[in-house]
Amino acid sequence: MDFFSHLVVDLAYFLNTSDGYQQKKQFFYNILENNRYQYKKYFDLFMMSLIFLSVAILIAEVKNDVHYFIKFFNIYIISIIFFIEYLLRFWTSSNVSEIIISCSEHDTMLGRRFNLSRAVIKILKVKSKFILSIRSIIDLLAILPFFHELRLLRLFVLFRVFKLFRYTTSFQVFASVLSTKKFEFLILLMFTSIVVFVSSVLVYVMEANNPDSPINTLFDALYWSIVTISTVGYGDVTAVTVEGRTVAIFVIIAGVSVLAFTTSIVVSAFTEKLDEIREIKTVDDIRKLKHFYLICGYEGVAQEVAAKLKNQKVKIIVLDESEHRIANAKKDGIVALNYDPGNIESYKKIGVDLNTQVKAVLCLRESDVENVYTTLTVRSISEKVNMISLLMDESNRKKLEFAGVNEILYPKGLVGMISKELIGRPVAFEVIHALRNDYYGVSVEEILVDSRIHENAIYLNELNSVSFKIVLLGIYKKDKKRFFFNPLENTLLESGDYLLVIGNSAFIKEFEKYLHKKIRT
Amino acid sequence: MKKRIALIFGYNDYALEIAKNIVDSYNKIYIYSLHSEQDVVKNSSEFEIRSFDLSDKWDDINEFVDIEHSIAFCVLEDNAENIFLTISLRSSFPDLNIIALSNNKETASKLQMAGANRVIPLVQTTAEMIAEMMEKPIVKEVFHKILFESSTLKIAQIRINGTNSYIGKEIIELDWDKKYGVIALSIMYENMRNEFIYSSIIKHYRVKEGDSFIIVGYETDIKEFEKIVGSECD
Repeated sequence: MDFFSHLVVDLAYFLNTSDGYQQKKQFFYNILENNRYQYKKYFDLFMMSLIFLSVAILIAEVKNDVHYFIKFFNIYIISIIFFIEYLLRFWTSSNVSEIIISCSEHDTMLGRRFNLSRAVIKILKVKSKFILSIRSIIDLLAILPFFHELRLLRLFVLFRVFKLFRYTTSFQVFASVLSTKKFEFLILLMFTSIVVFVSSVLVYVMEANNPDSPINTLFDALYWSIVTISTVGYGDVTAVTVEGRTVAIFVIIAGVSVLAFTTSIVVSAFTEKLDEIREIKTVDDIRKLKHFYLICGYEGVAQEVAAKLKNQKVKIIVLDESEHRIANAKKDGIVALNYDPGNIESYKKIGVDLNTQVKAVLCLRESDVENVYTTLTVRSISEKVNMISLLMDESNRKKLEFAGVNEILYPKGLVGMISKELIGRPVAFEVIHALRNDYYGVSVEEILVDSRIHENAIYLNELNSVSFKIVLLGIYKKDKKRFFFNPLENTLLESGDYLLVIGNSAFIKEFEKYLHKKIRT
Repeated sequence: MKKRIALIFGYNDYALEIAKNIVDSYNKIYIYSLHSEQDVVKNSSEFEIRSFDLSDKWDDINEFVDIEHSIAFCVLEDNAENIFLTISLRSSFPDLNIIALSNNKETASKLQMAGANRVIPLVQTTAEMIAEMMEKPIVKEVFHKILFESSTLKIAQIRINGTNSYIGKEIIELDWDKKYGVIALSIMYENMRNEFIYSSIIKHYRVKEGDSFIIVGYETDIKEFEKIVGSECD
């Protein structure tokens, strides 16, 4: 026994440290449970298709003879796929090896021998929690049509429809919204049950002995009561006596009230949760973005930056703790979340990878205290992400640098520099300002010399910028990290260089297209 | 004797930054504080602080300032006060060059209506620099060097003088980049209207005496070009 326990612990350690095993488990977990995993949606779509196919076959089977293969597919193939899915969920729902290791380490720490049975009980508890969850029960019931010899079990195909809840988040949102009104629904259910029970008994007592009445059994009375209170009123079973009709009047009134109450509960649940639903949707959309800028704060400069980046069709997300400012951002058509950018929880809620998804974090609050705080928060999550911050008071520059900001912009210093330009070369300043803002349709752009362009042009004179009425201001050499103004025509182009061109924005776009299309002869 | 003076209205960080940057260009710099005499007493900067009131008639300024060659900066933090100050200065000194600071587009247009010669659109400029840092970092770096840093690459305004061989030539025929190593960005007509030379409507415009060109080039090339083509102007 002791040897067996040792073997189990060794195996647990092996599994827990095996990269291959962990990677495979993580892969299956991602594809089954992780909504942020890019391939999960394809898996969900595949499973949903199987569900609809299964139901379609069930319907077709009612009045037609379906091909043997289709039956086989429905009964065996789909069931086996669902069964495999169930087993994978069972496997990934918890980490057995970790439980064994933690029990073993716990026992070692307390100086006693490892008790395998305690670990097994713990594992059973965790696994039974999974098995007894509603979703798992539905999954299991959806596999039952496999035992098609029991004809009734074939109807369990319909349980496969409930599996749709797993694959569509909107269903889950709908259920979660309604679950917030559990108490109200419970009261409504109790009220309805009492009315149905009392009216069924009353109408049965009043009608059962009347030979003209279609209500002869308690089941008829119950059926009549439910049809009436639901305001459906089929009319196949009706009360014929005066007493029975009097009961009907009360049930109809109660029915209208129940309907109105139900509607109001559902509407109020959605109204209350509307912002939350929108937020969930926004966060979900943000997680899907590959690259975006995160703007912290939405005051004067931030508003302008957001507008400029939005005009350039760049994805931006705004975070601000002020509801008012977030409302302004939304009004400006910007994706914004009312999260505190200085709070680490905000980033956990958004759930994006700052290193890969965020191009840069812009701390644009008009307060150095807030910007330093946000910088430190972001730096505690990611050391790599590029951070730019506004500086409101020169004396705080070092604090921002120490906090980990990559680039600092000091507007007051900028005023000084601009003033110097304005007294010396006012028109020159305005020209550059106009170029930066794409006034008169003229702008300055950077064109990356990628491998495609490089294949098409080896020397600058092969670019043919003149025919596009574009002026090549210069070339930025990546390897030398230096800008060469007005370079010679025989300058060698290299992959990774940047061309700085000035001209009509539309012509620049055409020129860029041409560079990529052109095939060197 | 009247002097070429820079008058900065508003005692704040903006004023001090402006003063630091333009100190070499003027005989004297005065910073005017609006609110109290305390600023005058507390002043720790190297610049002279004076107090003023929005209802001032500015008679003393007229006495010692060469208005035509001096400059005024209106950098009060309150937008309404800054506009009032600008209009007040303009009504008293029609020839004074007034540069005003604006924090938003609305204030910028009001400042221009109030008579400011130039407006520094602070928020907009800061934002465009940040946006450029993000999407066009090389453009930002190059422009920053050209405008604000002491690099060899410069931007200049060159006025075409009367003896110039380029007079009468079409914009499209200008070959300054190859011949002189300078690139022309825009043209400023005699009536001060400014237009980019890349605009298709002006490619057949014939250069006239008095037109100014905004050119970019290395300092030495600009100087050479200036000798041949015209004169550098403010």
